[in-house]
Amino acid sequence: MKRISLFLLLLLLSTTASARDSFKICWSIYVGWVPWAYGADQGIVDKWADKYGIDIEVVQINDYIESINQYSMGEFDACTMTNMDALTIPAAGGVDSTALIVGDFSNGNDGIVLKGKDSLADIKGQTVNLVELSVSHYLLARGLESVGLTERDVEVVNTSDADMVAVYATPGVTAVATWNPLLSEVAAMPDSHRVFDSSQIPGEVIDLLIINTETLAANPALGKALTGAWYEIMAHMSGGDERATAAKTFLAELSGTDLPGFESQLASTEMFYTPAEALALTNSEQVKETMQTVAEFSHKHGLLGEGAPDATFIGVETPAGVYGDSNNIKLRFDPTYMQMALDGEL
Amino acid sequence: MIEARNLWKKFGDKVVLERINLQVQEGEFVTLVGTSGCGKSTFLNMLLGTEPVSSGELLLHGKPVPGEPGPDRGIVFQQYSVFPHMTVLQNVMAARGFARRSLTGALFGSARREAREEALGLLEEVGLSHAQGLYPAELSGGMRQRLAIAQALLGRPGILLLDEPFGALDPGIRADMHDLVLRLWRQYRLTVFMVTHDLKEGFYLGTRLWVFDKTRHDPQAPNAYGATITYDLPVGKIDRDTLSDIDRDLARAVTETA
Amino acid sequence: MKRLINQTPAPMLRVLLGLLPFVLLVLLYMFASEARLTENPSDKLLPSFTQIGDAIERMAFEPSKRSGDYLFWEDTLSSLTRLGMGVLIASAIGLALGLFTGALPLVSASASPLLTVVSLIPPLAILPVLFIVFGLGELSKVALIAIGITPFIARDIQRRTQEIPSEQLVKAQTLGANTSQIICRVLLPQLMPRLVDAVRLSLGAGWLFLIAAEAIAATEGLGYRIFLVRRYMAMDVILPYVAWITLLAFVIDALLATLSRRLFPWHHHGGQ
Repeated sequence: MKRISLFLLLLLLSTTASARDSFKICWSIYVGWVPWAYGADQGIVDKWADKYGIDIEVVQINDYIESINQYSMGEFDACTMTNMDALTIPAAGGVDSTALIVGDFSNGNDGIVLKGKDSLADIKGQTVNLVELSVSHYLLARGLESVGLTERDVEVVNTSDADMVAVYATPGVTAVATWNPLLSEVAAMPDSHRVFDSSQIPGEVIDLLIINTETLAANPALGKALTGAWYEIMAHMSGGDERATAAKTFLAELSGTDLPGFESQLASTEMFYTPAEALALTNSEQVKETMQTVAEFSHKHGLLGEGAPDATFIGVETPAGVYGDSNNIKLRFDPTYMQMALDGEL
Repeated sequence: MIEARNLWKKFGDKVVLERINLQVQEGEFVTLVGTSGCGKSTFLNMLLGTEPVSSGELLLHGKPVPGEPGPDRGIVFQQYSVFPHMTVLQNVMAARGFARRSLTGALFGSARREAREEALGLLEEVGLSHAQGLYPAELSGGMRQRLAIAQALLGRPGILLLDEPFGALDPGIRADMHDLVLRLWRQYRLTVFMVTHDLKEGFYLGTRLWVFDKTRHDPQAPNAYGATITYDLPVGKIDRDTLSDIDRDLARAVTETA
Repeated sequence: MKRLINQTPAPMLRVLLGLLPFVLLVLLYMFASEARLTENPSDKLLPSFTQIGDAIERMAFEPSKRSGDYLFWEDTLSSLTRLGMGVLIASAIGLALGLFTGALPLVSASASPLLTVVSLIPPLAILPVLFIVFGLGELSKVALIAIGITPFIARDIQRRTQEIPSEQLVKAQTLGANTSQIICRVLLPQLMPRLVDAVRLSLGAGWLFLIAAEAIAATEGLGYRIFLVRRYMAMDVILPYVAWITLLAFVIDALLATLSRRLFPWHHHGGQ
């Protein structure tokens, strides 16, 4: 009953941004986002929240898409997601969103695996199992492009990520596109070859902490606390000392693997342990170009909504300039808070 | 044709029937009366073949009664005797189909036409011609039992077993049914065994009346002794005193059971 | 004034009372949708009826830009085919199993314990196994539906078979019927309307398994579409799809009920 009334309230009172002192953020299991659990567990998030006199609740959501939907509905103030999903779900849904922290980009964490063949060009005519409309789908499109093929040359079967490994084991399945840790499991099976992965399109699959733009504008303290906490967590993780090992062991367990397993996931992730690294990508021309590619892919697949006449319908603001309609900016790459972290102003 | 020699029936430790010795000739109309639970229905079921004999012998034409029902012994139960998914006519015709050695018992061609004629004739006899297209659920209780009897007769059994066939009917309808049964009994030269809890019905219908009752009682172990046939009377040759004796005995048995 | 428990609505009032909750729900939806869309015109959570209508128009009456197919009808056709095949297979196997275990004690002795155990296996839990055994194609989806509802149908039919009064079996035997005749003429016809009932009861579960299977791996189907567009929260597509599935379920149930009344009038005359 409480849930129902909450839901009704939520429907009626859509989020109104105003100065508050209590916030909720959500994350889902992925190597680049799981550090938030460490921050919450070690009291780092609380420490920074206290510093700015606010309250931040960190919630794990098992289903990635559900976490984004919850954020888009206004249930959470901030949420972890990729650049593509940030564009196609909250931004396309009219929720003005800001990438507060650029955490990492996938550098081999997403890939395409073929059974019995070892070249991407062999994918022609095959059936490819993947989570349709996800980053894997985007990766497939980019991969096909790199060998002069298009999506018409393959048949895509929407397959739930939870069943991807089991599905791959069946004889009829010869090609999958997926992400880690599923990717390494699938690639480790006999006669399987990783023919393309995100390290070949570096910086295109970016993992972000997305925050509601209005909430951020009304509550800069939230942005400061989250950014401050994040880079303290990064500092804990990145050292070569005992503390780093302890942190990574904790995260490995949480991710359902062990330390070497977690290390290998980290190896295919380009983590930005310092604000300087994150800013280098954020401020580059590349982000704008990437977002253009992503927007064009998304528009082609109807992800920007049926009302979108072309890929430029939704404006994306980056430090290098705006891609798309500057009167309809719904996604912003904002280096302000990362810059503050770099300058030691937090 | 039917003979019981020191017949016993037990359910586990419970003795239901004991020391039953009897002989029945072809063409007799035997009515079985007694209190509930006295074993009269059990005896009928042993004749039918659905209850095995515990000890002693129950012979039919000199051989033990088969361990399962067969076409030589027709049966009409108090209810559920007819097939609810068949019309009145189909119910009667079904007997012809079942008599053939086929996989499904379906009738075709001339066999079907013959069975239909025969069934219609029987329905006429039991007064159900007008209802031939109805389903059993659309019939009254009396009509349904007429149907059950007609159906049983089409199997041409030598023996007809009736297990309280009119127990659920109104008195007026019962009288009609009595006439019907007596008429068919004579016409088809049947040997009839009819279980009833209505003593008067037993007297009116039968040529022979059996009363089932316990002769021995052990208050410590009520199940140790079973019932046997305490009266075996040729009906019509008994006087008023015997009738009241039976009545009194049955009344006593009822009180004891209660 | 009569007591509340004795007050019955007039026929007209009854219809109105029945419609009232639906009207209230629609009004509540319109109000909430309006409120959200005023706040954010691109909101996808509660699309307006116009947006939903546009989505239906687009899905059902315009060929898809990518494939040229009418997606809505294609989804419906493939889902109904899967459901129909699954239910048909489940009915056939369930009827045979239930009939033979119910009618033949020898079969029952060997099959009933297995049937009981199998019926306790949650079908969704063995989905990965099904994929490995049947592959990813149509077969595994049909198999999931069939495996999911067969035990229910079999056990229901078994119980129904045992419920048929033994008097009827005895009667048939006294008319000379052998085992196969009893099965074909006495048991089977009486089980048919009960099979229809069992199918009606298991259709809900059938839809559940269908949508679950389509969510896991598919290229078309009602469940596939819902889980696909969920990725970009296209409620304007999801809501009509859900309504359509509800309508289909309702129509199929009503059709089966009518069919049963037509084919087995004796079953609907009330008890014997």
